[in-house]
Amino acid sequence: MQKSLLFFVLLGTPLAVRAQVDSVRASTLPGPQLAERAYNSGLASFNAQSYPAALRSFDQAIGAKPNFAAAYTNRAATRYELKNYPQAVADYDQALKLEPGNYASYFGRARAREAQNQITEAEQDYSEALKVKPDYAPAWYNRGVLRFEKGEYQAARDDFDGAIKADPKMAYAYHDRGSTNQKLNNHPAAVQDYAQALALQPDLLSALLNRATVERHANQLPQALQDYDAYIAKRADNALAFNNRGSARFENKDYAGAIADFSQAIKLDPKYAYAWNNRAAAQLKLEKYAEADADASEAIKLKAEYAEAYLNRGHAREMLRQADQACQDWRRAAELGIAVGDNYAAAAGCAGEAQ
Amino acid sequence: MSHFFRLLLFLLLTSGLSAAAQSVAFTKDQFGSDKDGLREALRALKDGDTEYRADPPRYAQALPHYLQAQTFNPNNAALNVKIGDCYLNSPTKTAALPYLEKAAKLDATADARTHYLLARALHLNAKWREAIAEYQLAQPVGSNTRNGDAGAVTGNDLQRRIQECRNGQQLMEHPTRVFIDNAGPELNSADSDYGPVVSADESTILITSRRSGSTGGKKDPEGNGYFEDIYEATWKDKTWSRATNLGTPVNTEDHNATVGVSPDGQRMLVYEGTNGGDLLEASLHGITWGKPKQLGARINTRGHETSASYSPDGRYLYFVSDRPGGAGGSDIYKVELESRAPAVSLGPIINTAYGEEGVFMQPDGKTIYFSSEGHNSMGGYDIFKSVFENGKWSEPENLGWPINTPDDDVFFVTSASGRHGYYSSDRPGGLGAKDIYRITFLGPEKQPLLSEEDQLLASRLAPVKQAILAPAVAVATAQVTILKGTVTDDATKKPLEATIDLIDNISGQTIASFRSNATSGKYLVSLPSGTNYGIVVRQDGYLFHSENFNLPVGAAYAEVVKDIPMKRLEVGTTIVLRNIFFDTGKATLRPESKAELERLQKLLVETPALKLEMAGHTDNVGEAARNQDLSKRRAQAVVTYLTQHGIVATRLTAAGYGEAKPVAPNTTKAGRQLNRRTEFKVTAK
Repeated sequence: MQKSLLFFVLLGTPLAVRAQVDSVRASTLPGPQLAERAYNSGLASFNAQSYPAALRSFDQAIGAKPNFAAAYTNRAATRYELKNYPQAVADYDQALKLEPGNYASYFGRARAREAQNQITEAEQDYSEALKVKPDYAPAWYNRGVLRFEKGEYQAARDDFDGAIKADPKMAYAYHDRGSTNQKLNNHPAAVQDYAQALALQPDLLSALLNRATVERHANQLPQALQDYDAYIAKRADNALAFNNRGSARFENKDYAGAIADFSQAIKLDPKYAYAWNNRAAAQLKLEKYAEADADASEAIKLKAEYAEAYLNRGHAREMLRQADQACQDWRRAAELGIAVGDNYAAAAGCAGEAQ
Repeated sequence: MSHFFRLLLFLLLTSGLSAAAQSVAFTKDQFGSDKDGLREALRALKDGDTEYRADPPRYAQALPHYLQAQTFNPNNAALNVKIGDCYLNSPTKTAALPYLEKAAKLDATADARTHYLLARALHLNAKWREAIAEYQLAQPVGSNTRNGDAGAVTGNDLQRRIQECRNGQQLMEHPTRVFIDNAGPELNSADSDYGPVVSADESTILITSRRSGSTGGKKDPEGNGYFEDIYEATWKDKTWSRATNLGTPVNTEDHNATVGVSPDGQRMLVYEGTNGGDLLEASLHGITWGKPKQLGARINTRGHETSASYSPDGRYLYFVSDRPGGAGGSDIYKVELESRAPAVSLGPIINTAYGEEGVFMQPDGKTIYFSSEGHNSMGGYDIFKSVFENGKWSEPENLGWPINTPDDDVFFVTSASGRHGYYSSDRPGGLGAKDIYRITFLGPEKQPLLSEEDQLLASRLAPVKQAILAPAVAVATAQVTILKGTVTDDATKKPLEATIDLIDNISGQTIASFRSNATSGKYLVSLPSGTNYGIVVRQDGYLFHSENFNLPVGAAYAEVVKDIPMKRLEVGTTIVLRNIFFDTGKATLRPESKAELERLQKLLVETPALKLEMAGHTDNVGEAARNQDLSKRRAQAVVTYLTQHGIVATRLTAAGYGEAKPVAPNTTKAGRQLNRRTEFKVTAK
């Protein structure tokens, strides 16, 4: 206000302070602030998940104020939500140009690049974000996920360690570190991590499934079955859970129980080829060869290059005395990567040579 | 037949006729209404007994008579025992079981021998647990049987049978994975077909058969069909050709049985029933087999030589003989054909105190298959496998259930690939008596493969929102009040140039000063929110005009038009002091009133003759008297302030008007606010 007044006084001086009273308004009021208004409106739309409206507002903001870094950042985030990843990256680029070293823009750009499967670039951006803000757990976590998916389990575990250090209550980080420990065959640590994830976030039920997997690897079949039961008691709509419990029951030689689970998985997801194949396997154990043949055939119908299903169908057809068809299936399984198929074919005196 | 057994039969018969509670005797009492039928049945019984009691018993001949009698009276315990016994001594032993079970049921006091026969039938039907129980019931009788009696069952025999049942239980728990297929009518007949031998490539098979059409056309007086002949078939288009009799000179009017064939199929080993059973060798000339020739004294003795197999290179012969000096029963020997060395036993790992039979050397040259009543047989002869490695035979391995059965399983051969085996068996479902079966070895169980997946990454399963947004920015445009209007001379109504001071009532500081337009009298001031503004309009020769705008932080944009009539200093003029504030309901001056009070004090100082009446007014809320009192006290508070700040008391009076002099209707909030006021009136100047 003082400055405005001074401005007025200076302007008014030649006219002996008496004129130009109306100019006070021009000098003391802020401008229309169109960019800021549009920006704030965009933010409100984003928070209301009205992304197209948010995009229009951020466009307006940038139109009114081309160097509005925050508007670029938020428009990028909006474009990410609209799955327009290349343009999201472009906006983050611009935001970083206007405001170098902004960890949020690095992090956002990493996500947009990850969405475009530009894994190396995404990993770099997560790393840049962490240089700026080493206590930002999501960046550690996301980089860990990328490294996990690349099979770099040791590096992934380091990242999940970093995430947990930055945010000791991050259940996802415990969960995924558990998975990393599973991959590294560190079963006790994996079980502990999954348990901690569940303690922090009891609805993170995948931890139960994954802990069951670890327990099976550690020959703790009863505990694994308990975890599957606990999961299914809370969520009876997951075909994968039934498929995996069925597999555990199969390991436990409870073939009838396994068939019940695989059947339920099929009921929940009739296109779940794994469940069809696995039920075929259990039928084989119960010497229900015609049923095994039918189930394996359905699996193959759903997944044309399903080596395991070919192998299992070969077993069924051998027992159904369809020797030629069994040979074809074993050979096909071998072609698709299960080498033992050729051994079976050779032992059964199948005509022809392995491909 | 043993004396014991005859006695037993007699006892059975008599007990069945007279004592058994449920057994139905062949008597007039029971069948008086069908004398002819009873007569026929008794005759059949008698005829059957004639055959049955012969020495040796002629079971095959006895059986039809007994079965005839059985149709008349199926509930005679003794007859059921005899029928069971005949079946146990036939090629279809397992058929004995229902008769013996019935006999035991009809005769609650069934003796040990019946228990033994029932145990045998149960055993042969692979009912291991029940068989063991019946053997245990038979044991006392068995142990008392005299030595040398062909029908005797010693305690050792019973123990061995029990052990066989236990072996069977174990072997059956882990069946061998095979297909066992009847070789079909091309090879098998209604009579016994057995002793298959195959060429290494499985292209040719030779079998022994007791079917009709044998050379000489005679039936074996000991039963079980015609004299043995050798037949040949070839494999073509996934099936065997119909087996044809090799004819003479290989087959003769006597027994002629296949024993083995050389790997190349050019030589054949033949069994002939002469000299107690000897082995001969025939050679193939083109498509014709030559006359079999004796293999010589190193192989054939006065004993029984029954089975033989060439080594793959043809140098050695493995054969079975019951010659003296063996381990017991028949044993397996090996002889080098081109030398003069005597045959040697394969030794105690292979040969047991019981019989060995049906030797076959696999084309790999080190694996023999043979049958034995010893080792861990589950009953009768079982087929075993042993491998000669590191200078010794491996422990014989029972080929297991279902290749082996509780009955005799003998003459097993395999193809060079080892994928198929051939043997004979009287298992149910055949074409009659023993049949040739083809075994397809499936190998260890082929494990099925399962597929499953995990969702190892929590964020891939349930992504979380991770967007980091830049925060909102401040937009100030709304938080300002525009105050504008025209300053006029109240008397002339002409525009008036005046000074407009903006005062922060809290700090008492003048924020800014403006002038209204000299020509138009217009003014406009911008009042950003967040301040309690005192606005004072002043001009020389006029009394100051006081306005108040208390704009809290965040107050919305507003425009207020306020025309200001400036009053000259005249007696009777009244000025409202908008910037004097009291605590609610009290007469205590608030600190933000200070600027206005100072202004008033200054006016009085600058105008010494000026006398004022301070007047308090209220709205109509509350009691009138209380309002009047409050207004008076508030006016007095202003007077008190001024006198305390150097103004002579005589220049000031205080009046309280309560709600008596409203300047606006009390019906609105704005009106009531205008009515709550402190003002002064010029009483002298």
